[in-house]
Amino acid sequence: MQIVLPHAGIVLLIGPSNSGKSTWLKSMIEKEEILPSEVVSSDAFRVLVSDIEFIDWRDRPKDEADNLMDEYQSISGEAFSMMDSVIEARCRLNKLTFIDATNLHPEDRKRYISLAQKNNVPILSIVLDIPEEDLLVRDEQRDYPRGKRRIKQQYQTFKREKRVLKKEGYLSLYTLKGTEDIQVIRRTNPIEKDIQNGIDIIGDIHGCYKEMILVLEKLGYQKNEEGLYLHPEGRKFVSIGDVMSRGPESLKTMLFFYEHVQKDVAYMIDSNHGWKIARWLDGRDVTLNHGDEKVEEEFKAYEEEYGSEKAEETKQTLKEFLLQAPSHYVFTKNDVQTLVCVHAGIKDAFIGKQSEAVRDFCRYGDTNGFDEKGKPVRKDWYISHKKSSLIVWGHDPKPQPLLINNTINIDQGVVFGGALTAFRYPEGEFISVQASQDFSGADDNPLREWEKNRLNPPNIGKFVNGYSVLTEKMGEIKIHQDIVKSAIDTVSHFTIPIEQLIYIPPTMSPTPSPSALEYYLEHPKEAIDYYRSHGIQTMIAEKKHMGSRAILFLFKDTEAAKKHTGFESLGVIYTRTGRRFFDVATEEELVLKINQDLHESGYFEKYDTDYVLLDAEIMPWNLKAKELISSQYAHVSENAILDRTMLKEKIAEASRENMELKGWLEEYEQKLENAYTFKEVFQKYCWEIEDINSIQIAPFHVLAHSNETFFDQPHTWHMEMNREFAIRSSLFVETEYKLITSEASEEEVIKWWQDITSEGHEGIVIKPEFYISRNKGKLLQPAIKVRGRKYLNIIYGMDYLLPKNLERLKSRNTGKKQKLALREFSLGIEGIQRYVKGESIERVHECVLGTLAMESDPVDPRL
Amino acid sequence: MQLTIQASGDNVQAISYLLSKNPRNLYERNHKGHLVRLFYSKFTETELEATIFVTPDPIELVKGNSNSYDITHYINDREFAVSSIFCSLIRSALGTALNGQPKEEHTEWVNHPFSFQFEFGPVVSSLSDNQLKDLFEPIGYEVMITRPEIEYSFQIKDKSSARSISLKGMKTLQEGLRHLFVLIPVIDNYKHYYIDEKEIEKLERYGDGWLKDHPMRDYIYRQSLRFKEVYSIVENRKPEEKKEEKESKVRLNDLRYEKIVDTVSQMNPRSIVDFGSGEGKLSVRLGFVEGIKEILAVEPSQTAAIKALGRFEKVKNKEKFVVPETLWGSLFYYDERLKNKDVIILCEVIEHIDEYRLPKVLDTILHDYQPNALIITTPNREYNEVYDMEDVLRHNDHRFEWTRAEFRQWCTERNHRDIYSLKFEGIGEEHDTYGYPTQMCVFERKED
Repeated sequence: MQIVLPHAGIVLLIGPSNSGKSTWLKSMIEKEEILPSEVVSSDAFRVLVSDIEFIDWRDRPKDEADNLMDEYQSISGEAFSMMDSVIEARCRLNKLTFIDATNLHPEDRKRYISLAQKNNVPILSIVLDIPEEDLLVRDEQRDYPRGKRRIKQQYQTFKREKRVLKKEGYLSLYTLKGTEDIQVIRRTNPIEKDIQNGIDIIGDIHGCYKEMILVLEKLGYQKNEEGLYLHPEGRKFVSIGDVMSRGPESLKTMLFFYEHVQKDVAYMIDSNHGWKIARWLDGRDVTLNHGDEKVEEEFKAYEEEYGSEKAEETKQTLKEFLLQAPSHYVFTKNDVQTLVCVHAGIKDAFIGKQSEAVRDFCRYGDTNGFDEKGKPVRKDWYISHKKSSLIVWGHDPKPQPLLINNTINIDQGVVFGGALTAFRYPEGEFISVQASQDFSGADDNPLREWEKNRLNPPNIGKFVNGYSVLTEKMGEIKIHQDIVKSAIDTVSHFTIPIEQLIYIPPTMSPTPSPSALEYYLEHPKEAIDYYRSHGIQTMIAEKKHMGSRAILFLFKDTEAAKKHTGFESLGVIYTRTGRRFFDVATEEELVLKINQDLHESGYFEKYDTDYVLLDAEIMPWNLKAKELISSQYAHVSENAILDRTMLKEKIAEASRENMELKGWLEEYEQKLENAYTFKEVFQKYCWEIEDINSIQIAPFHVLAHSNETFFDQPHTWHMEMNREFAIRSSLFVETEYKLITSEASEEEVIKWWQDITSEGHEGIVIKPEFYISRNKGKLLQPAIKVRGRKYLNIIYGMDYLLPKNLERLKSRNTGKKQKLALREFSLGIEGIQRYVKGESIERVHECVLGTLAMESDPVDPRL
Repeated sequence: MQLTIQASGDNVQAISYLLSKNPRNLYERNHKGHLVRLFYSKFTETELEATIFVTPDPIELVKGNSNSYDITHYINDREFAVSSIFCSLIRSALGTALNGQPKEEHTEWVNHPFSFQFEFGPVVSSLSDNQLKDLFEPIGYEVMITRPEIEYSFQIKDKSSARSISLKGMKTLQEGLRHLFVLIPVIDNYKHYYIDEKEIEKLERYGDGWLKDHPMRDYIYRQSLRFKEVYSIVENRKPEEKKEEKESKVRLNDLRYEKIVDTVSQMNPRSIVDFGSGEGKLSVRLGFVEGIKEILAVEPSQTAAIKALGRFEKVKNKEKFVVPETLWGSLFYYDERLKNKDVIILCEVIEHIDEYRLPKVLDTILHDYQPNALIITTPNREYNEVYDMEDVLRHNDHRFEWTRAEFRQWCTERNHRDIYSLKFEGIGEEHDTYGYPTQMCVFERKED
């Protein structure tokens, strides 16, 4: 007799004591057909929890017998509860487990059946049907005989239960009259496959046969004489389902996959449409709609062409094919599960398992879940994906492949006039073919819906109680409730509209430690040391302009702006806090001039882009900070100079007679000089603003074009781009920079810093060569500012360099600032990448709001 | 921060006894890092000049303040200006003189007037030179004010905001110092300094004998005791500014609430959303609308919402009152809790939003939340003529104010799917030409 064992699940042995369960299992272990760890035995667990395997209470006085029975029952209770935990853990881990116990009582079996169900693994039972006489004989021969009466009792129960087993719902039920000549066949997991020479996963085809062939050809597949598409390198392709319905050639596409799957050169996964068609072919009562009716029409035409016999045969073939399509595939690379392909979605606990619940989930995704008021909530299943395996899925058309939380959606709605996407694994490349037209004829075209809804107001419920952003660069970033509200308040009252506010630049930390030199608070050495000690050899030093930080979001034309933001403007210029930088009229004038300059020099054409997003400093300082300069800086300098001049003169006059006053005089001479330095420094960053031509814009990062981001470019590239901007428009100015690659170039940069800062320039920013730099996987500070000695007068006060002051100021701590800088940096990149990929403004706003919230968390403003 | 005391005439040297400072020594005391210093620059039979000044520790000065997350906390004039900080730092150094208690043998000079000149500065004050004079001249000083010239490389301000003041007069030293100790905090542009009830006692002690009859007595009191609460202990008088205008405003508010409540009542709603509910003045009235089951008071400002809660608390036990639920929300986000309500109200809200952001807000309300009715009120700009306001808006946070025609056209455009019928009304006292001060539009969803 043959027994077929699945790769995982529960094998329930059923039979009275002495029926030979343990003996049989032992023999299989000896023959290495099964592993010892695959057997869970109640006897063994009794010993494990109590050191006792069996208690005999026969021939004992009643009081003793009762107590012994009690003891045996509590031992059994503990043993079974431990055993069940082990079985459940093994089920969760998708392992095979033999349960070696009598399992005569229906409630025991029910418990295991529901355990298997709960964990989405199969359960089968093997019944050992041994005559009563044999049982009794064996009992007498064993170490701890159970006794005649008990054996007889058990046999009675067994006889009664044997009849109902069939209806209990096992995957299979084997009845053995003995344990000799039993052949065990073990199956591997049918949905686990090795990637072999690589695989190409194709999104929802929906009968777009032509586009499918084009994608296969683009992927390098070639048609052989049998009409099969094979890859010269032996790669295989996988459909994530919905190969049929809605589109023009469903039948042809299904047959195509049938042929290829039969020949083991392709895979196809179950899906909602596939399942519907399968049940229709199976003669079930289903309503064909949402494009399924087109499949029926195709079958009718097929029948007319090939006759009803052939049609019936094809129907049967395809029915079987569709019904057998697995819910998902797990692909392994060097025996490690790294990739999951599924139609609509999957929970981590379902991966590698096949049950009704799993199949259902994989076909439709997570449609359950209701809010407290009973309204259905579409749960985004991928949010709870915590495992490292990459999940590739389709089902829900998005304009671009959507990468969220280690899942990739590759349904780009070819049937709706979008594109058919293929994802090459393990290469991680996308290949796509544009649809020749919208085949669906659907009124509710999901791609158009997506586009229409992209700019919808973000759902406040997602943010207001605090939330997390999953960033590609730093993983999960938590935004706490207490800082979210003030950020939402800011967005509601002061910022530019949410649809235009796609990026807030990160804060920047000064040198992590103060200068080791006596007369400096900051010095380039500490910034360079920071990067060197983190494995960065090449750095860039950029001159830091002193004006106000600004983001310029500039469009090719108003039409492009309307498309991307919903507003017909040529662009916006906004501050670090998301507020409009200029008044409306000045902004319009500036943006128009830049737009004209960029058009004249063919910028938008050269880069084939609808917009450019720039990170810049706008000068002069008084443009934005006039009030601050007038009421703080100028005012303070006037008071300081008046106070110190009066005192210096008085002391000087008196010191002619009183030598003791010399000390005070020197002190006040120095202090008056400090006050004059202070006054000199802030004026350095200001000039008269006659018209917009007095304005200088120094961009330092080109963040994005409508089709790409530039975070993979080195800073030298960004600097070159900035030079290009300065050539294209007189409003832009170039930024000086130098590279640090050696001791010599380091010296040169320090000298340069000394020179420009002693003239009063703010300082420099030191960055690693590449925009995103890591050391041992940890993200490094994207930039460190090193401000000049003079400049810091207006930050730390005019007397900050006096030794007793400087000493105390050096104890500053940049820890929090650095932490914020990294988080805001990651959020910024994430938001822009989402925006460029055409994701919803809600997903972009999640990042922007996060940075705004972090900026409302107080940090020493002098850092 | 400095004060120079000059005196001329006979017996001026006695002043050193009153000050209790030896003219041959430099005086220096350390108060938490701030150095209080005094030196004499003249000491002859007929001339005396002493300067007391403070060299503050700038780092100590900015320590441990709740406002320390703003750069203005670190770069400011407190280190230099004569202020209440200055007064408290020099108080103990000048204690003997202020209290008029020199050594027994010198008490005769306490009440002896000298020809004094007090020079102090820098003074940071919002008062004009003339206003400063009005403070000192009535108590017998000749006032000289100097303001340094300024020069900047670009146009930033017209004149220096630092001044020094010089006062000349025949006074006793105690009188002079007491005048200064009362009036320096009055003229200083107050910043970061907490004033408590002790201040009243000080004011009365130093002001004894002169403050009572000072023509600017009320002003001096108000400025000294800046916190209204403290001031009201001394003077149980309410500020009388623009009483009339306020009254008319209050009346318009009430009329507006009444009108909205009337309109709402006629609709027999079960659920109402009061957007931008502020301190809950409208929401609390809506709680009494017949048959109402749910009022959502949506407000993004935490402080306003807390006041609203207090307002609801007061009436919550009244018969038939439905307590509004305060929701923290914003017009620029989608909030599913606001869907399918009977009435949504935007009472004096839209004019606080940039005009170009409004169409989308209204789209969300009319086409996503889909209330049976939407009520919007906003000022009628035409009516500003009646207030003689010329080009000014009624509130400095108003981003716009519309004429009746503008409002009508805007509302009509918002109903671009034509699923609402619109009704326009006015609130307040009607003017023949300019209409009502407040305009209202009621959007009601047409029957399907």
